[in-house]
Amino acid sequence: MSTERMERCCGGEVPLLLKGGRIFDGERFLDGVTDVLLEDGRVRALGKDLPSPEGAKELQLAGLLVCPGFIDLHGHFRDPGQTWCEDLVSGSLAAAAGGYAVAVAMPNTLPPLDNDALVRDVIERGRRAGGARILPAGCVSKERKGEEMAELAAMADAGAVFFTDDGAPVLRARLLRNALLYTKDLGVRVLEHPEEKDLTKSAQVTEGRCSALSGMRGFPISAEVLGVLRALVLARETNCAVHLTHVSTAAALEAIRAAKADGVEVTCDVTPHHLVLSEEDVLRSNLHAAFKVNPPLRSTADRDALWRGIADGTVDAIATDHAPWHEDEKDLPFQEANFGIASYECAVGAVLDYRRNAEPEVPLERLLALWTSRPGALLPQSAAFPGRLAEGLPAHVTVVDPESAFRVDPALWRSKARITPYKGRHFTGRPVLTVVAGKIVFSALEGGAVRV
Amino acid sequence: MSWMHRHLLDVDALSRPEMELLLDQAVHMEDLLDRPIKKVPALRGKLVVNLFFEPSTRTRVSFELAEKFLGADVVNWAASGSSTSKGETLRDTAWTLEAMGADAVVVRHGMPGVPWYLREKLRKASVFNAGDGAHAHPTQALLDVYTVWKHCNRSLDGLRVAIVGDVLHSRVVRSDVQAFRLLGAEVVLAGPRTLMPLETDALGAVYEPDPVKAVEGADAVYLLRIQKERALEGLYPTDDEYHRRWGADEELMARAKKGAFVMHPGPINRGVEIASAVADGPNSLILDQVRSGVAVRMALLYLCMGGMEA
Repeated sequence: MSTERMERCCGGEVPLLLKGGRIFDGERFLDGVTDVLLEDGRVRALGKDLPSPEGAKELQLAGLLVCPGFIDLHGHFRDPGQTWCEDLVSGSLAAAAGGYAVAVAMPNTLPPLDNDALVRDVIERGRRAGGARILPAGCVSKERKGEEMAELAAMADAGAVFFTDDGAPVLRARLLRNALLYTKDLGVRVLEHPEEKDLTKSAQVTEGRCSALSGMRGFPISAEVLGVLRALVLARETNCAVHLTHVSTAAALEAIRAAKADGVEVTCDVTPHHLVLSEEDVLRSNLHAAFKVNPPLRSTADRDALWRGIADGTVDAIATDHAPWHEDEKDLPFQEANFGIASYECAVGAVLDYRRNAEPEVPLERLLALWTSRPGALLPQSAAFPGRLAEGLPAHVTVVDPESAFRVDPALWRSKARITPYKGRHFTGRPVLTVVAGKIVFSALEGGAVRV
Repeated sequence: MSWMHRHLLDVDALSRPEMELLLDQAVHMEDLLDRPIKKVPALRGKLVVNLFFEPSTRTRVSFELAEKFLGADVVNWAASGSSTSKGETLRDTAWTLEAMGADAVVVRHGMPGVPWYLREKLRKASVFNAGDGAHAHPTQALLDVYTVWKHCNRSLDGLRVAIVGDVLHSRVVRSDVQAFRLLGAEVVLAGPRTLMPLETDALGAVYEPDPVKAVEGADAVYLLRIQKERALEGLYPTDDEYHRRWGADEELMARAKKGAFVMHPGPINRGVEIASAVADGPNSLILDQVRSGVAVRMALLYLCMGGMEA
């Protein structure tokens, strides 16, 4: 099949006219605009009462929020190497079903994604997966060992959208510093997992109530703060950008807030589970391994501080850190189980539901921007996921039904993961349609109505 | 007052009346220990498996005696040297035990939460926590409160208990604080800060950095075992320094109430957390704790395994 035909059958499709929704352009809801026309993989028009072109598919979306395709900056696909846990196809379909048009794949696979050939392989197979587009991050270090720099420029050319040794911080401060400098002109950011490993040896849960009451070793708050401070100091000194992922403590967020105010080019994301759950859930579960994650679930005060960070703009993205494992790695006593929470298919709902019930003072626009324009600004421009809706931009769309209630049942997931702390939870609000490059990759709509 | 529990995973499952029912029951069981024939048929025909993933002599033997005195069939499943070391998961071990017809599983494991995990996997067997990680050790707590309770006219209300030692790594202290408080006693914790959780308040007790102040006016002083490898981890410098500052000697005990009880979960390190003169002194309840342990475990097994209807 020629490339051109491939593009046509995978991208083009029939024109799609999304009618009657509330249109969110990535920053705000648009007044007087209700319709979006997608054609040839692009946003053709935004307006009111748009005429339906010949052969177009029309969807009635009254009461629904029409947004730029959601962007997830942090997920684990376990492919290559651990495909019994997840693979690019199951992960891509799961992400799409969770409302994500694009998902960034972390490079801590087996072998690690530390070269351009593997980066190309993930992009190519991800494109054929049929759900969310998958854009890989490459390792900062060769074999993800934290010692020598990987071929960062070659991976940037191949389409890597971040550099990270995620799962762990970049081991050597010197390597992190050099990586910041080396990548500054590549247009690809370093995404750092902030953790001072010397303080977290055999840690299982957050230090505080949870470690005191469970008797397990705690991850001290200081371990995350030191990781954050190291990155901030190096970014300031080199005048380079850095992205800090899954920030989970009030103290770390405060350090980032201060650095931003000081002009350091730092950005950060927080996870849905740190926004919705806390150490109290770990204790209430009687130490169930579904709640085991790194960074660990923190205090309720930390959770509330993350919401304040969203409210004041310190937080730049909500990223899932979707970390699927097979039962064999997760249906175990807490200390034996792997770290990680699988959440693609319920993460947006969990956050929307929490906002609805716990009423943090966060306007809906601000929250939606953290899945769209704000993370979109952190991806290289060539990735073509700007997280915005405007004429001429790529036709990536996520439609959210703020009133649709659902129960989390991992038995029905497209993801291979079956263990999640959200199992059995009831949430209100969820994505019901995901469109990538003009093509519907997930729909819970039936005849214009939301299928229950 | 009836007994509603099939399992015992931690003390917080019990209300004060339930705890008192259990202590009353333990008195009857202790009477049995003085008889020439110690055996009663309360659990005849029941299969109890002692599933110990960690070496433990006293707790295992104490449970085993309790089970045997009640007439149960007892199997000791030493997990090292059996299938677990061949890589069998705990889930499969649980299902195997159930397939063999276990009516109860007494579990000791180095990882917190394992007894809860087993309860979730087992459909019909009772689960008893014989110590999980540094998390909980409810039968130790029950025997500890029982020992003091019977020496104090069956009431702990208003008593002051000082627990001194390695709180951070202790499974005993978490359950003991709950049990003493449930019966109306007040608990003070002492020991080096490096052997304390950062948030001692979460445990429900007050931390007193000065060991002398901690035992001041105490009705009972409970010493926790110091594992010698903690010094190698850099948590305190030497056993000698530990003993001089935190160890219970006659000088420290003189600050407690006159006749204050001395307690220890065992095995004791003479010359580290406790001086021999104190361990072997007239106020030491250490051996009484051992005897109480059998009686309390008998009472617990009897109540949880349908003894009431027999």
